[in-house]
Amino acid sequence: MTGIVVVSAGLSVPSSTRLLADRLTEATTAALGEAEVTRIELRDLAHQLTDRLLTGFATGELAEAIEAVRGADGLVVVTPVYSGSYSGLFKTFVDVLEPGALDGKPVLIAATAGTARHSLVLDHALRPLFSYQRAVVVPTGVFAATDDFGDAGLEDRIQRAAGELAALAGKVDASGTAHRRRSVDDELADPTPFEELLRRASQA
Amino acid sequence: MQIGIFSVGDVTPDPTTGRTPTENERIKATVAIAQHAEEVGLDVFATGEHHNPPFIASNPTATLAFIGARTERIILSTATTLITTTDPVLIAEDYAKIQHLLDGRVDLMMGRGNTGPVYPWFGKDIRQGINLAVENYGLLRRLWTEDVVDWEGRFRTPLQGYTSTPRPLDGVPPFVWHGSIRSPEIAEQAAYYGDGFFHNHIFWPAAHTQQMVELYRRRFEHYGHGPADTAIVGLGGQFFMRPNSQDAVDEFRPYFDNAPVYGHGPSLEDFTEATPLTVGSPQQVLERTLSFREYVGDYQRQLFLVDHAGLPLKTVLEQLDLLGEILPAMRAGFAEGRPAHVPDAPTHASLLAKAEAAALQEVSA
Repeated sequence: MTGIVVVSAGLSVPSSTRLLADRLTEATTAALGEAEVTRIELRDLAHQLTDRLLTGFATGELAEAIEAVRGADGLVVVTPVYSGSYSGLFKTFVDVLEPGALDGKPVLIAATAGTARHSLVLDHALRPLFSYQRAVVVPTGVFAATDDFGDAGLEDRIQRAAGELAALAGKVDASGTAHRRRSVDDELADPTPFEELLRRASQA
Repeated sequence: MQIGIFSVGDVTPDPTTGRTPTENERIKATVAIAQHAEEVGLDVFATGEHHNPPFIASNPTATLAFIGARTERIILSTATTLITTTDPVLIAEDYAKIQHLLDGRVDLMMGRGNTGPVYPWFGKDIRQGINLAVENYGLLRRLWTEDVVDWEGRFRTPLQGYTSTPRPLDGVPPFVWHGSIRSPEIAEQAAYYGDGFFHNHIFWPAAHTQQMVELYRRRFEHYGHGPADTAIVGLGGQFFMRPNSQDAVDEFRPYFDNAPVYGHGPSLEDFTEATPLTVGSPQQVLERTLSFREYVGDYQRQLFLVDHAGLPLKTVLEQLDLLGEILPAMRAGFAEGRPAHVPDAPTHASLLAKAEAAALQEVSA
């Protein structure tokens, strides 16, 4: 079954960010037919994220969340807009992912904000962030200003983006991507033989 | 089982008084701590290597030689020697020299270092960290085991007809541990050569340490050095104890809360649960330490971090006294249920005996 992980960085309860995340999740599940959905609320992990920054290791629910993201077939990520960009909490979560964790992974990017004036946040902040992570960002991003929750156009964009994510998540095997980086876990499971490490060391 | 302490040599203000020791005080304190470690019966004192403030741990060879002159029995080691940025020729010479001066009471722990700028300061490229560790250590081994070395590599000028002097004591190089927290390649390196593997352990969750040690043991067997459970494993550990456990918690908390490594982050309680840090009574420290075997198996060396985070020298020495009191019970605990075929940590004497036995066998064959 296709595994979808939904990361939501809203801080208030109830949160419009969570609301948008839920609608994207529903639409993605419907497009896939069936999916196993894991929801990650970053507010619940805020303390553990700070601890992770200071100690260098993740524990408990944060460790589970990172593992879920690593193993996901596709991601839905939703952040509120703060100071013209994704929130610091959202960025922190991306920062603690191991390099390579998102290689070749389909990601649907979405954001919420008070007004439509922030709508370029998707293409100026989120898309470059996930491009840097070598993720496959779906063509349609979903931006929802407060007003959009009363507008039928939002549902169209949700459906289109979810369809794009479902198509990619169903077809692309991230582990088969040509230049996927090896993680520490890969190395622990199947170490590079030392003769190979010796050979590499002497290569210019 | 070797039990000892390792120091990183940080100069940190005491958060309870606001006072920062001078470099001179901290350097002299390192010597006092090492001497007291021998007095309470510990087997090993190890010092780190850093080349930047707030540490006083540069030049470990001078420190270890000085301590060696003032002690009789304790094994002196590094924790760690920067194999990435230090010329392997200098490492070969420096440690062979102190091996002679200390009559073999020395071994080394190799590490890549955790300070990024140390690479450019010493003319190296941090992106080549693993490659530097691999090539440099390969050269170091040859310098110790071959009398005349012709060598050409990528990171250092070639050597032609080079003899590293002095030659290792009795022809037996110091035993080497490879220290790594998160790089499986280094566990692989230790396994390939049949050297020891040391996991820093402190500041990290048990599951993480377990994975690295398992990899090392599995690959040690793979490379034909013997069964996985005979691989040579060392672990770090960290404690603060007082006869009454609540006193330990109350006294250590301000140091924990302000420590450069984990301060202002998780609570003392969360961190204690997630990592080997034990704050409590000597009995609690004893039990926790003996429980490390549950996830790494029977191992050979246990080193504790005792002097850091601004703890005053007096307190550190008291910690060593308390460790000395539980030492017999800790040794007995580690011996209990330990299979006879699990070896002790190699020493100069045991390595020499092994080399002599091998030479004898060669003559008779």
